[in-house]
Amino acid sequence: MSTTKYANAVAAIRAMENSLLSRNDLDQLIASATKTERDNIVASKRGSGAEELTLEGVWETIRAYAPDCRELEILLYRNDFHNLKAALKSMMAGKEPQGYYIRPTNLDLDVLYPALSAKEYGELPEYIRGTASEAYELLTRTLDGQLADSLVDTACMKAMQAAADRSGSDFMKRYAQLTTVCADIKTAYRCCRMKKQKAFIETAICGSGELDKDSLVRASLGGTEGLFSCLESTSFGDAAKLLAESPAAFEKWCDDVIMELAETARMQAFGSEPLAAYYIAAEAELKNLRIISVCKESGTDRETITERMRKLYV
Amino acid sequence: MTNGLVLAILGAALAALLAGIGSAKGVGLVGEAAAGVVSVDPSKFSKVLILELLPGTQGLYGLLTAILMLSRVGVIGGSPAELTMAQGWSFFIAALPIAVVGLISAVFQGKTAAAGVGITAKKPEHNGKGIIMAAMVETYAILALLVSILLTYNISI
Repeated sequence: MSTTKYANAVAAIRAMENSLLSRNDLDQLIASATKTERDNIVASKRGSGAEELTLEGVWETIRAYAPDCRELEILLYRNDFHNLKAALKSMMAGKEPQGYYIRPTNLDLDVLYPALSAKEYGELPEYIRGTASEAYELLTRTLDGQLADSLVDTACMKAMQAAADRSGSDFMKRYAQLTTVCADIKTAYRCCRMKKQKAFIETAICGSGELDKDSLVRASLGGTEGLFSCLESTSFGDAAKLLAESPAAFEKWCDDVIMELAETARMQAFGSEPLAAYYIAAEAELKNLRIISVCKESGTDRETITERMRKLYV
Repeated sequence: MTNGLVLAILGAALAALLAGIGSAKGVGLVGEAAAGVVSVDPSKFSKVLILELLPGTQGLYGLLTAILMLSRVGVIGGSPAELTMAQGWSFFIAALPIAVVGLISAVFQGKTAAAGVGITAKKPEHNGKGIIMAAMVETYAILALLVSILLTYNISI
């Protein structure tokens, strides 16, 4: 599809970007004393009568403006696969899954649970069908929720990479790669800490063009020191240092590296990339607001809150 | 009507046709972008309207060239000239600069102006810069128009 087909959507998104919080706004929020003060700062930025920023709202807006959302759907794959896990576990526990779902999602949530219950996987989108069947079988056979989770998570990363490759978008390919790298490093680190067996690690790590699966599995079996030294020999040496320092610092690095990718779309006048970047920016903004809110309530000092702030798009 | 005159009329038609197609594409693209901004912030309508108008000029240049050419060969005025094939080809070739450059420059100007709409959306105070950037593309359409007019008026009938 010609990138100029997104001219209308990109221009609208550019206008909406004005209501995203700036560094200055974040500083004011961090300095604020009360929740009311924070609400007022956010409300003045959004403008009078504006709706509250939610990812569901952002996604609906993108869908309304974009002439073709197919390649952008990759952004929701993590939510889709999370919802699959939620539905599977709810089914096993005999609970209603609605409260555990994350929105926005590409899945029809009214169909997901009944389809899994009836084993009618054909009702689900193609990219999740095989995983749903495999995870259901694994979960019912082993009753090992953690193993089933890692299978679904790995399948999610693989589906993202496959969809990104199909889309031909360099932005989406990079997004899928970076998301996979972050997930793989986190998984490898947890596996080291929990002293997991090779078979489990092999299921849990996806691998990508950026970070080889086999070397990461081998490194994970050698403990955290082995993992860090393996990562230091790759282009993710900085990430390894942060992970060694604190998992929270690594989490921030993961968000920032995705934001750096989003920043490449800031100068683009056409194409779907600015739309994806806006979604990523909204995600980061909501995360920052949550961090500020939680830190303020727990009495965390300003410097610590500032350190934890994710990179901004605007 | 001689074959030479047919060629001259074909040239005039091409000037209006190709430059007009380019303008329609260019204005359409900027219009899409402008509508996107206005749907979010209607107060920016007047600013994006200037950008939308810019790629429309090539169509006017094509029309102007066509009228001058038809007037020169007497089609407008009711007494068509008896043109030789050489004269007909000369008129046809005279129409090509604005026809071809008009088509291409209008499309590219549309893209530049649509990108300028993005500037207006994010930083309305820098709207003028977007207009200047889009106007730069216009230079080549003006040069092509000039060449087409000079050629049209210097063909001896």
